[in-house]
Amino acid sequence: MTSPAPGATPSPNTQAILLLTAPLTVGRDRSTGVDPLTHGEYKRLVRHLIGLQRQPSDLLDLEALAVIEACAPIVEMGRMVALLGRGFQLSQALERWQARAIWVVSRADAAYPRVLKRRLREEAPAVLYGCGEAALLSQGGLAVVGSRHVDAALLTVAAQIGGLVAQAGRVLVSGGAKGIDQAAMAGAADEGGAVVGVLADSLERAAVSRANRDRLMAGRLALVSPFDPAAGFHVGLAMQRNKLIYALADAALVVSSDLGKGGTWAGAVEELGRSGGVPVYVRSSADGASSAGLAALHDKGAQVWPEPQDVFALASVLADADAPPQAALFESPPLRTAPSIVAGYGPST
Amino acid sequence: MTMTSRHYDPDRALHLLRRGCQDATATFRDDQEPAIRHLVEGRGRLLVVQKTGWGKSSVYFIATRLPREQGAGPALLISPLLALMRNQIAAAGRMGVRALTMHSENTADWATVTAQVVRHEVDILLVSPERLGSDAFRETVLSVIAPSLSLLVIDEAHCISDWGHDFRPHYRLLERLVRRLPANVRLLATTATANDRVMADLREVLGSTLTVQRGDLHRPSLTLQTLRLPGQIERLAWLAERLGELDGSGIVYALTVRDAEQVAAWLRSQGLAVEAYTGQTPDLRRIELEHALQHNQVKALVATSALGMGYDKPDLAFVIHYQMPGSVVHYYQQVGRAGRGLAAAHGVLLSGVEDDTITDWFIRTAFPTPDEVRQVLSVLDAAHGGCTQRELESAVNLSSGRIQQTLLLLELESPAPIVRNGSRWQLTSADLSTTFWQRAERLTALRRDEQRQMQDYVRLSFGDHMAFLIAALDGDPSCVTAPTLPALPTAVDPHLIADATRFLRRFSLPLEPRRQWPPGGLPGFGLTGGRIPVDRQAHPGRALCVWGDAGWGDWVARGKYREHRFADALVQACADLLDHWQPDPFPVWVTCIPSWHHADLVPDFARRLAQALGLPFRMALEKTAARPPQKDMANSVQQARNLDGALAASIVDGPWPSGPVLLVDDMVDSRWTLTLAAWLLRDNGVSDVWPLALAQTTPDT
Repeated sequence: MTSPAPGATPSPNTQAILLLTAPLTVGRDRSTGVDPLTHGEYKRLVRHLIGLQRQPSDLLDLEALAVIEACAPIVEMGRMVALLGRGFQLSQALERWQARAIWVVSRADAAYPRVLKRRLREEAPAVLYGCGEAALLSQGGLAVVGSRHVDAALLTVAAQIGGLVAQAGRVLVSGGAKGIDQAAMAGAADEGGAVVGVLADSLERAAVSRANRDRLMAGRLALVSPFDPAAGFHVGLAMQRNKLIYALADAALVVSSDLGKGGTWAGAVEELGRSGGVPVYVRSSADGASSAGLAALHDKGAQVWPEPQDVFALASVLADADAPPQAALFESPPLRTAPSIVAGYGPST
Repeated sequence: MTMTSRHYDPDRALHLLRRGCQDATATFRDDQEPAIRHLVEGRGRLLVVQKTGWGKSSVYFIATRLPREQGAGPALLISPLLALMRNQIAAAGRMGVRALTMHSENTADWATVTAQVVRHEVDILLVSPERLGSDAFRETVLSVIAPSLSLLVIDEAHCISDWGHDFRPHYRLLERLVRRLPANVRLLATTATANDRVMADLREVLGSTLTVQRGDLHRPSLTLQTLRLPGQIERLAWLAERLGELDGSGIVYALTVRDAEQVAAWLRSQGLAVEAYTGQTPDLRRIELEHALQHNQVKALVATSALGMGYDKPDLAFVIHYQMPGSVVHYYQQVGRAGRGLAAAHGVLLSGVEDDTITDWFIRTAFPTPDEVRQVLSVLDAAHGGCTQRELESAVNLSSGRIQQTLLLLELESPAPIVRNGSRWQLTSADLSTTFWQRAERLTALRRDEQRQMQDYVRLSFGDHMAFLIAALDGDPSCVTAPTLPALPTAVDPHLIADATRFLRRFSLPLEPRRQWPPGGLPGFGLTGGRIPVDRQAHPGRALCVWGDAGWGDWVARGKYREHRFADALVQACADLLDHWQPDPFPVWVTCIPSWHHADLVPDFARRLAQALGLPFRMALEKTAARPPQKDMANSVQQARNLDGALAASIVDGPWPSGPVLLVDDMVDSRWTLTLAAWLLRDNGVSDVWPLALAQTTPDT
């Protein structure tokens, strides 16, 4: 995987995808213009473009009007023109991200993590923002997730697991939230390990946080988010990013979960229901409020975490998970006839 | 539609041109119409290289208006020279183009302009590049027009190039914005001068679809001449004699604000109608002065580069340089303002001994040193929540100007090692790239080359100058014709030399009193900061000269460091200064700042001055702690701290005199010593404090 350079000029396809789908926030003031396309709308537009033998960058050139007209059944022309007319705003947003060493890749870029397209297919976000060592995103590892509000004992457990992942030389993937996420990430970081944080909000702030700086610069931390770097916390966004945490790992461990509610529960259930999803483990020795949630996840197909106590045991858990049987099937895209560059739905070039 | 190609209506375009210039028979000049058509039809990015006065503003106003009539969004123009666009903006108004400006010199209008932009009552917004770096501007103004911006105009586009003669830090930001601009935003870049190296850079930044339109550089009406007159005195005398003999009105350029003011004061004392025009001239005053020059109500404006490229007066009869500019491009642009609409005009370059010193200083201080950068970064590294600029000033011994310059250049790096969140500076996760230092080295070397090229220019024989300039700018010198006017005489009248000598010795500089204590106050005096009460402030004072300058500067230096006694001539000069100055209420006694190092140097001088004025002298201040010299403190906060608790008011012999006092010191730098001394004196019942210093060491920060 090519590491995206912060500040590099994006390809015309990526420019067009950002214009269509990104809020392009450039300051505190949220401009109340036109709504960017939702993921669903964008998917429909891409399918339509493929049918027209077109690609997103065609929406920016001299003959764009014809393409925009041809897309009118999917996206109303006024809205499309307004979205694409945000070119100056786009360059400002890119500049703002660059100033904070934030990079951005779209599905049309070779640097976009292939594993996301392979595991999530059309659900893979059109755009991914990040900071730090992008190569960590393609190294798999163990995802550790759990609740925000847990007792100290569970935090210790999460930190120990993080530390073990680091000792095994593997990547720890988590969501950067309070509670289990941060404990596991800190546990791995304290052992000098590599960490990927998939953030639901405020990437812009995290990218310049003094606490993250040394590890970002040492290449031991990557922070990524599918949402605008200035986006604030929103439960819906937190839910949507859960699938990325799983997709970037080889296996996932749920340390604690409420029963039938909360982001951790919803994310784990979603992953268990995904064809080609990663193996999901739950701790067996959990007690108290969390045990009911974990037991229910077990009933839904989560495996019992074998409690590896050393790096060899952990490596074998991850090795077992490394060969997802069906994953290769998805390399063969249903949209084979399209130019491969189109929004990255075809095989990445 | 905001973006795709639009219909170009030639009749409508001509109609707008005629309304703009209020001439029903006007027609497009040279390449104006093809440029407008290119932009309106959305045929890709356009770079226009045309000399000043060609009429680029008609191009971008009409290219804004025509698509706007078809529903397109507004335009944004970036220019470092907006203060001078008043005529053009009036023309825009006549075309029905609502043009609004925001730059550092019209801050009073910002609120109104912002409100108009928010109400979408703008067709083209003209801003300085520095605005682009302001969070407040981006959030409240740009966020309104950015989502539908249809045309971006970059004026003085050569500034985008590293090789451009004008290093404007914020053009780096603009360069990155342009590189990332999608193809569907119309872009017009304009410049009057771009040599081959700059052109190559511009092509690279503006992209492969760029169309270039280039005019020629020759100005046949201009007679160029160079004169080497080493001393300021000879040049002042020459100017006083020649200016009166020249026809029409013109511009005299100086390199610094102080030189511009000094030359203007001298010429006025010789009965010439001239005024100074600098970056420190208030906005309203500038408008008056531009108007006065436009209508030949002054013989000349004595200006710094603040009177820049946007100024258009077709019948400008002469441009005379009092000092040598740093590069051919600067020179060509300034001298090229003369004689645009005349058959003949003079362009004279005087050059003196201080030219290189001034240019060297500009070159040397353009970039921070590695040590300065290291100091700033290490303070930010240690501060977990970041630092304000004030906090940095407390933590590092660098001048506030140096700190500001360092922060600015680092912020504009790509990727930037620091970022500003509100008023706090923070480190990012990017290191400062080694290309930063490579660029600094490359630019410094380039500046040296440019300086040498100007030195060559000064040595040319009469008749060779225009071809030299055009060749240096990579233009075609073969079309150059012979000068149309005879050279001006080089002789200098000895009587005027005597007058100029007297003038320089009489010329004094204002010292504005400080009105605020430093941040954090001065705990040693029990002062917590904030405003200094008016009844504890000094009055505006005077400095006799600038350290090391012609006039008295050399005398002061000799007295301080060689003879350890200030000459009687300086006593007389100060007495004369007071005679001209006439502070009111006039001082009834004299006191001075005690010296930390040569104990009797200043008291001895002040005592002699008091005698010359016929006033009593009293020591009323004493030092209470040993401190290093103020000149070793690099910024104002450090200088104020250095004095904290180290000075006291005391009268040993008799009661406190309460009347107005003349407060004497030898050198003035940060003005903290005078501020504190005035506070102590007034706290002890002295009614008025008039500071007088022999020399000012640095420009105020």
